[in-house]
Amino acid sequence: MIRRQLFGIALGSALATLAMPVWAEDPVKIGYTMARTGLFAEAAPSQENAYALWQEQVNAAGGLDVNGVKRMIEFVSYDDESDPAKSAQLYERLITSDKVDLLLAPWGTPHHLNVAGVAERYGFPIVGNTAASVAIREVQPGNIWFPTSAIPDKIGPELAAMLAEAGVGSVSIIANVLPFSQENLAFLTVALKAANIEIKMSENYPPDISDMTPLITQMKSAGADAVLALTYPADAFLYMGQARELGLKTDLQFMLIGPTIDAFNKAFGPAADGVVTLAHWSPAQSDWPRAKPFFDAYVAKFNQEPDYLDSALAYMSAEILTQAVAKAGLNKDALRQAIASGSFDTINGEVRFDGVQNSVTPTAFVQRQGDVTELVWPKSIATAPLK
Amino acid sequence: MLDIILSPQLFFAAAVLGSLYALIGLGLNLVYGTMRLLNIAHGDIVMLGAFSAFWWFTLTGFSPLLALPVIAALGAMIGLCLYILLFRRQLAQGLDPVVIEARSLLLFFGVSVVIQNVTALLFTATPRAYRHLDEVFRIGDLAMTGSRIAALACSVVLLIAMLVFLKKTLFGIEVRALIQHREAARIVGINVEKVQIVAISMGFGVTAVAGALLSMTELITPFMGFRFTIASFVVIILGGLGNIKGGIMAGFLLGLLEIYAVTIFSAEARSILIYGCFVLAIVLRPQGLLGIGKKA
Repeated sequence: MIRRQLFGIALGSALATLAMPVWAEDPVKIGYTMARTGLFAEAAPSQENAYALWQEQVNAAGGLDVNGVKRMIEFVSYDDESDPAKSAQLYERLITSDKVDLLLAPWGTPHHLNVAGVAERYGFPIVGNTAASVAIREVQPGNIWFPTSAIPDKIGPELAAMLAEAGVGSVSIIANVLPFSQENLAFLTVALKAANIEIKMSENYPPDISDMTPLITQMKSAGADAVLALTYPADAFLYMGQARELGLKTDLQFMLIGPTIDAFNKAFGPAADGVVTLAHWSPAQSDWPRAKPFFDAYVAKFNQEPDYLDSALAYMSAEILTQAVAKAGLNKDALRQAIASGSFDTINGEVRFDGVQNSVTPTAFVQRQGDVTELVWPKSIATAPLK
Repeated sequence: MLDIILSPQLFFAAAVLGSLYALIGLGLNLVYGTMRLLNIAHGDIVMLGAFSAFWWFTLTGFSPLLALPVIAALGAMIGLCLYILLFRRQLAQGLDPVVIEARSLLLFFGVSVVIQNVTALLFTATPRAYRHLDEVFRIGDLAMTGSRIAALACSVVLLIAMLVFLKKTLFGIEVRALIQHREAARIVGINVEKVQIVAISMGFGVTAVAGALLSMTELITPFMGFRFTIASFVVIILGGLGNIKGGIMAGFLLGLLEIYAVTIFSAEARSILIYGCFVLAIVLRPQGLLGIGKKA
């Protein structure tokens, strides 16, 4: 009899121990897709790394604050194979089948635009990040927001203004035929003409170009004050190496996308000094106290610098989500309201939304100066003068 | 414009590009010529060579040029493994070459997907690059980066070595015989399997070396190989399928076309010009520049 009682006590204790995890908070399931294969796979890691860093930091601090209760973050993610249509399908699956609590954005403008439709259909708010096209203004506001200020119709006039102030009288332009470069070229051409900056040469090139010697030779002959290379990463790399080989010297060299990726600076070191490129974030900006810690944490975790555009934007979107969830919890309506009307403290300073767009962060440019990437335009957020 | 066209700078650029195309095409030609295997994972072997050079340089600090024999051996091993695992039995069955080609296309497609994704899983898709031999040397108006000089020199040396091997050595003659007529080679007592093994090893090894040379000037990612696959097929078809010398000529021709067509017309028209000329060449001379290297 005593043995039976002892056995019962032991069994009960074991069952109680097994049942204990049921009393802990369930993790918050956050879903997203990422271009892990396909055309955009080279660009996407910088964004997914930022997500991974954010998850690690939040979980290390006890979890995501959901209305005062901390819950660990669990990702549910899929490879969208760089296919925007597939991305939209997978987001639908994340919402309806995986029943995630929150969503993070995929990589790239076409993906964002496709996923915006899903967000609208299910009333599921998403803070976007790596989308930069005038097309984002055609998205129905209310379920997706875009923190970037790198929109082509702003980039053109700001770049022209910066060039004019720097005393640049003429430019040579080469542009990748891919959409973002071409969208920027259209607005830039108009802005340069308005600023009375002569366009001495303007040539497009295909994304699979293997050698830019002819183009750069023509640029040298044109003899413009500045060179504007509307590049993607692979061709930025090709351009930089060959411009250096051919001794292309101008007052200013601008590359659209490429110089902010870690591999670019590793490849060119001092040769990249002075290159201006598109970005609105820098760890050198002391007015944004979160900026340098993010930079340092990213370098410590991944042994490479974050991309000053994609990594920064991805992390910003996660910060916005963190602060919105802390205030509104997981209720979609409350979350939508919190994001649409809130003010957020991010690694890029304050972010607020007017409709779908960030109404605070200005369109900006950075320049590699020695070992530091400084914000050089606009002067309101510049950390160093343009050299 | 004329002074630009006649400049030594353009010729140097064409020579560098052409030599790398020729080397990459040579690798594919060795595999196709001896076994009629359509390796559409060819560009991925270039990628693996590039990654090998990157990691060698990053981990040891030594020049990737010192690692070329090792990288060639790694490429050769990959070729050998694929041969043993996927193709040895099929080739031994004496199947129609058309059937071999079709099956190899599908198999190599799968191999390509696996190679790309395993590499992305192991190293992530984050672009890599490194700085090596980046000094610029000038002779008059000609400027040459050290890495491009090295790529040109190594490519040319390797191409010449392969041509000498194929022409002057007994084994090279056996390779040429197998390319020319498979059955006749078997009848005269050539150990076909041995030749196939060496050919696929050499083909993959040479391709991996091309990747290592490219790594000094290109952004390295797991998905960088596709355009080299396309270029290599253009080269071997233009030069004549299985024709080693033709393929080498076609490689240099492609380099010249790419540089000078862009100079004379525009960079935007590059793809139209290159593939337009390619189509025209096939229409006018379907057997390739130097004819088909083997009869069916």
